[in-house]
Amino acid sequence: MIGDHFVLMLIFSFLVSLVFTFIAKDRAKERVKYFLFLLASFILLSILAGWLMYPLPL
Amino acid sequence: MEQAPPEAGQVHAEVGFVKTLTACVAGALVPGLGHAVLQKWDRAIVFLGSISVMFALGLRLEGRLFGPDFTDLFSILKFVADAGSGLLYWFCWLRGLGVGEPSSYTYDFGNVFVYVAGLLNMLVVVDAFDIAMGRKR
Repeated sequence: MIGDHFVLMLIFSFLVSLVFTFIAKDRAKERVKYFLFLLASFILLSILAGWLMYPLPL
Repeated sequence: MEQAPPEAGQVHAEVGFVKTLTACVAGALVPGLGHAVLQKWDRAIVFLGSISVMFALGLRLEGRLFGPDFTDLFSILKFVADAGSGLLYWFCWLRGLGVGEPSSYTYDFGNVFVYVAGLLNMLVVVDAFDIAMGRKR
């Protein structure tokens, strides 16, 4: 479980998003919105980057 | 000749300087401690928890703690990123933890977790500096 690439990516995204959110925002409501935005961005862009690299090496 | 008493603004500036320095040094040593000094408890708890978990996971994933090796640029950068975690890094490194297992397929993940924990802590120290200087709340 801990060695699963996707789970590790989720854990990484969660922790980094949490730290960035608390650095960037002060109010609770803003924090929730910003955290969810960052988390979704991390996950979706990681999956996108993975698919873009799928044909490599050519 | 008698010296004039310091003005209120000067005393305030000196207290501000001591507090800023204390917050930055504390934050560099222990993640989140700088914010605790500034009584930003919510941030302190989140930073301590997140960065410590990330660092511990990096070791658990058989990542390596790069020691002070100044032979080439990448070694220096790896060391600086790792050592950004402060006492977490030095305690584990001195205890001989974080030897790393390059044949393990989680080795690179582990290294990234440890690097990012250190780099995030550097950002957290800058944030504590900004708060102590009154640039943000």
